[in-house]
Amino acid sequence: MPSLKNELWLASRDRLVQATVLVAFVLSAVAVIVGLNTSHQQRMLIERVDAAVAEDRAYVLAQQSDPGGAAYYAYHFTYDPPSPLAFAAQGTRGSLPWKHRVRMLALEGQIYEADTGNPELAMGGRLDFAFVVAVLVPIFLIVLLYDGQAGERRGRRFELLVATDQQGGLFALRAILRAGLLFAAVGAPFLLGAVISGAGLGGTLTVLGALGLNVVFWAVCCAFVALRLSSGPTVAATLIGLWLTLALAVPTAGKLLVEGTIPVPVGGELLLTQREAVNDAWDLPKEATMKPFVEHHPEWAPYADISLGFEWKWYYAFQQVGDQTVEDQSKALREGIAARDRMMGTVALLSPTLLSERLISQAAETDVAAYQAYERCVRDFHRELRMFHYPMLFETKPFSQEAMAELPSFTPCTQ
Amino acid sequence: MNAAFLVAADEWRFWLRSKLGLAAIILALLVTVTSLVANASRISAAAESRAQLQAVAEETFKNQPARHPHRMVHYGHYVFRAPAPLAVVDPGVDPYTGTVMFLEGHHQNSATFAPFFSAAQAGVFARLTPAMTYQVLIPLVLIIVGFASLAREREGGTDRQLLTSGLAPCDLWLGKVLALAGLGGLLLLPLAFVSIQALSMGEGAGAVSAFLLGYAVYLLIWALLIAAVSAGSRQASGALLTLMSLWLLFCVVAPPFAASVATASAPMASKIETDLAVAKALRTAGDGHNANDPAFNRLRSNLFEQYGVDRVEDLPVNFRGVVAEAAEADLTDTMNSFADETMQAEMAQSSIQQALSFISPQLAVRHFSMSLAGTDLRQHHRFLHEAENARFDFVQGLNRVHAEELSYDADINRNASAEAGQRARVSAENWRVLNAFSFEPAPAGQRLASATPYLFVLAVWTALCAFVGISRAKDRAEAADA
Repeated sequence: MPSLKNELWLASRDRLVQATVLVAFVLSAVAVIVGLNTSHQQRMLIERVDAAVAEDRAYVLAQQSDPGGAAYYAYHFTYDPPSPLAFAAQGTRGSLPWKHRVRMLALEGQIYEADTGNPELAMGGRLDFAFVVAVLVPIFLIVLLYDGQAGERRGRRFELLVATDQQGGLFALRAILRAGLLFAAVGAPFLLGAVISGAGLGGTLTVLGALGLNVVFWAVCCAFVALRLSSGPTVAATLIGLWLTLALAVPTAGKLLVEGTIPVPVGGELLLTQREAVNDAWDLPKEATMKPFVEHHPEWAPYADISLGFEWKWYYAFQQVGDQTVEDQSKALREGIAARDRMMGTVALLSPTLLSERLISQAAETDVAAYQAYERCVRDFHRELRMFHYPMLFETKPFSQEAMAELPSFTPCTQ
Repeated sequence: MNAAFLVAADEWRFWLRSKLGLAAIILALLVTVTSLVANASRISAAAESRAQLQAVAEETFKNQPARHPHRMVHYGHYVFRAPAPLAVVDPGVDPYTGTVMFLEGHHQNSATFAPFFSAAQAGVFARLTPAMTYQVLIPLVLIIVGFASLAREREGGTDRQLLTSGLAPCDLWLGKVLALAGLGGLLLLPLAFVSIQALSMGEGAGAVSAFLLGYAVYLLIWALLIAAVSAGSRQASGALLTLMSLWLLFCVVAPPFAASVATASAPMASKIETDLAVAKALRTAGDGHNANDPAFNRLRSNLFEQYGVDRVEDLPVNFRGVVAEAAEADLTDTMNSFADETMQAEMAQSSIQQALSFISPQLAVRHFSMSLAGTDLRQHHRFLHEAENARFDFVQGLNRVHAEELSYDADINRNASAEAGQRARVSAENWRVLNAFSFEPAPAGQRLASATPYLFVLAVWTALCAFVGISRAKDRAEAADA
């Protein structure tokens, strides 16, 4: 059975195969290089900003003489570093924040700040590896496989080939061979990128699995359609129609369905409520703030009397109470986003495009879940900051520059 | 010319008879109408909700009780970004830019809660905006309907018959172009209908007509391109393959490619770095909360001279308010110069992306459409500028109230007792310094001016495709003669 060698030779001489595999390889390589570069720039930025924020903090802290001022002026840099596989999928990192500068004030007023860069670039999406796999690989496969049988029919070789193909499966072999070539051309740059960035085996295999799944799915589709229709253009048009349905129509309809089914609170309302809560406190009796505060923090009840017109502990208490007021709204927002994402995951089962995109960005830790994990991480850190400052603000621990040296520093959470 | 119309009419008859052609046309009309209706309802709901929140924010501000004026500076205010009228067709960057911004003294905050923030994440393709439909999907429909227009005649040898019976080769080509352009025109009708609705929302007639013209030229480019490729292909399947590759290149690969190139070649500082740079630049400036800051010595002595006094207590104005006002003005200058730098860096990124319009007419029409609709980066910057002006106005209004309506004596003793605290307040009348905020897109003339270069790019594409088409049609006629 010499046909494998024979077919490989045939495929390597086919101009269409050469061109398609080359274009696929180049695009995949460009995507990987751009992705690696983006991750590198993000790591540099984190390093730079972390140092700059620390310098600023040291500068302002040196001038503080009371715990309230120290808590007020000391900013902390929080961030979600790109995972080793982040180069493969930009995911939500292009449009949702992955870095925040926070301080002791009410967190709900800070955590929605968005430092996400140029919106005109966000709207174009990114030519990342996930895009190549999810959107372009099906097209490459269609180009490679649509004319398999019909082309031989036009060349009047079809009957001859079928008659001399003793074991059968010649066209299957051709399809598998071409699909395999495409898999290798697209997968190789990624694999190299994964090695360069030191990605774990599990994630790397998941991404390659998503690529493989997509290749197999579309190869089967092509074979299925090509067997039933005999003219090249009809096969191509049918497959392109299928691609449009799965890559465009299903995600669009799914998005409309998901957003229609699961409402989320309007962010603007949350902000207005929170601001009212924080600011009203200035005019309310001090107990109106301190009572809900000590309900959350009974340990400070013995120190919660405010006798002066202004005391820092009262100031930070109403910052926290402001957060408490919108806790339900804020939780509903986060849960709504998570629920939308879960439902989108179900919709993705209907679209290999969405599914492979999701699998890759999940492995790359650039999906909605990763964003929400970062947000939780910031919330935890902010809680830690409060725990650090409260003893000094409530004067159970003396304020000093030495005490401030113990200020918690942010470390990114690992998932 | 008459012959060309006959060819076009014949082509239409062919499409209506063939299942594929008819199905594609009906599907295209359905998709355009759906996208227009869905987007219009989304945008008008967003507009209503933002206008309502804006009114609530203004009401709440003005209804605040008597307070120390500087408290209101920190109380702050919110502005909401209203979508432009033509956003019903092209929402542009709207989903990616914050819709609400908190304005307060001493800080420039970013706009938060972009619609994208809580949206279901389904990739960049899952945005069935009318702009996307017309820029990406309609060309595909034209390809499906028209790829065989000339190649079919050639495969069947019917073109030779037509040419020998006296039809000029250019007329055959022109007829096919007219047929496709006519289809494009038909598909533009829903867009025209909705764009004209934008007139009633305050959009200028000039902008609306230019907008439609741009889309018409864009679809004409595709009609010309399809005819040119079809004329040069020996087989219909070859024409389909070439056209699909071009579509993929122009509409699917070019946008993310352009974005990636722009990001990689013009990386930007983050807002945090800008904020830190502002803070650093301000280390030497005075703290506006502290009237005894040595940075204000000069201001004090100037005032003493002006009013002929030698104690701050004797000044007819509250020195603390004067300091707050002067400090805010200095601070704002610094913040604005950094904000301008950021905006220029963003514009530089965008201009790289725009320059790539020459590799894809879709990029050209996208920028054309956004700049004319008032939903591009420039308009977002305009919002940021207007929000900053609103911030500066109300903060300085309050600082003037602080200087003129509140006595220095009451001010410095404000924390002495509860009664003293009450004396250091000004009445709620003063909160009227807040002006109503309503964001509108730049005047139509300005938007037209920034959209015109893309129309030029589109014209270049038109000329190019027409030239290639004509010369291919002529080559073919010669080949047929031979």
